[in-house]
Amino acid sequence: MKKPLAGIINLSTNNILSIKRALEFIGFDTVLINKDITIKKFDLMVLPGVGAFSEAMNTLNKTKLIKTIDETLNKNKKFLCICLGMQLLFEESREFTKTKGIGFFDGKVESFSDFSVHKKTLIGWNKVNFNEKFFKDNQEFNLLQNKAYYFVHSFFVNCKNKNIEYGSSVNGGLNYTSVVKKDNITAFQFHPEKSGEHGLSLLKGVTKNI
Amino acid sequence: MIKRIIARLDIKNNFLVKGMHLEGLRILGYPELFSKKYFDDNIDEIIFQDVVASLYKRNQLSYLTNKISENVFVPITVGGGIKSIADIKEILVNGADRVSINTGAIHNKKFVKEAVKIFGSSTICISIETLKINNSYKIYTDSGRTEINIDVFDWIKEVQDLGIGEIILTSINNEGTGKGFDISLYEKASKISKIPLLAHGGAKTPDNVYDVFSKANVDGVIIASAFHFNYYKELLDKKEIPLTGSTNFLKDKNTHAISFEIKKLKEYLKSKKIEVR
Repeated sequence: MKKPLAGIINLSTNNILSIKRALEFIGFDTVLINKDITIKKFDLMVLPGVGAFSEAMNTLNKTKLIKTIDETLNKNKKFLCICLGMQLLFEESREFTKTKGIGFFDGKVESFSDFSVHKKTLIGWNKVNFNEKFFKDNQEFNLLQNKAYYFVHSFFVNCKNKNIEYGSSVNGGLNYTSVVKKDNITAFQFHPEKSGEHGLSLLKGVTKNI
Repeated sequence: MIKRIIARLDIKNNFLVKGMHLEGLRILGYPELFSKKYFDDNIDEIIFQDVVASLYKRNQLSYLTNKISENVFVPITVGGGIKSIADIKEILVNGADRVSINTGAIHNKKFVKEAVKIFGSSTICISIETLKINNSYKIYTDSGRTEINIDVFDWIKEVQDLGIGEIILTSINNEGTGKGFDISLYEKASKISKIPLLAHGGAKTPDNVYDVFSKANVDGVIIASAFHFNYYKELLDKKEIPLTGSTNFLKDKNTHAISFEIKKLKEYLKSKKIEVR
């Protein structure tokens, strides 16, 4: 049987290999996408990302990969966004300098350092409280509820539209969005590809039926 | 925040090795076998350290990192002989999430600052090896071979100002000995560290780990001997150790007792109300 094909948008940030390896582990073939190409042949598009917001937007504009992302968003292609990849979908970020994002969702990316939190930079495992509707089509997800996933970030999404918030996590006194879902788009602030067995099960779950 | 249990694999010539006080290395086997086992046992993170890289002025870990990251889906930190931006890039594209720098930071602080700017602070970790002599803690480079005349607590303050994400603090006195953690070292270090601090050196029993978590505010512990010897014995029983050589060290009364499983450790910590994954 032919394996489904995932296109990974390559922002040339730190660790693109782990998401590639994790997708291959759960049964995908993968292609790294370095420039704007037609996305028709892909069953899943992935926007991973570690690094700075402004740098990433620069790369997307320079490489015209921004057009690939627009096409993915508008053609209702199955789209998985991770960490910075999730943040980029929002209006703007104040990381280093104020930078405009893709703006597909309403809301801004804010810094933990402006809030009363436990850690200004989260490196490590934190629990995710999924919204019940996240499990509506995937009952087998129940075992993933309230488990710890691997986070690395100092900025977070302040999501205006609570209807697309499908999961949240806590940093000190702050409850922040850690899962966003709308139609064919699923986005995680944490790294499912680095979150052990539960992370792999989650990846399997959100990419099933393709 | 959930406390992290981290396995450390010291590598020499592509083999997993283990010593005492960072010396007297013994070959234990293929690192990919051990890292896979630890992933299956629910480890939170894995650290690979090329223990002779700085001494021989080279780093050979990118090939191994690439191989290991094929079936390890938790964060991987790689260290040993890293002294340039190109070194870091090479390791990250081969599957590591973070790098740890010791010698390279002591000789060139500007390099660390630049690395933080390019790769982000969470990617850059500083590893500090300290030896306590006459009640003062000095730092060392080249895996505990060369003394640098800097006080460890001064150095902790200094590296934080470089913008790095995390500190690994190894007690050379306790490393590989099973004496338990140097609690007073980690108590003092955690008070001055504003960034995550990881304790390494001396774990013999799960209770030692509980001890350091309950008395010092460390974010994680790094364990080598106890996990390695536990798995090594399991492999020996199954006659799956591919290398011949003396296994007498396992009969040594002191070494023999340094042995526990990741799962058992986590169960124990949970029973003591320490939050682990």
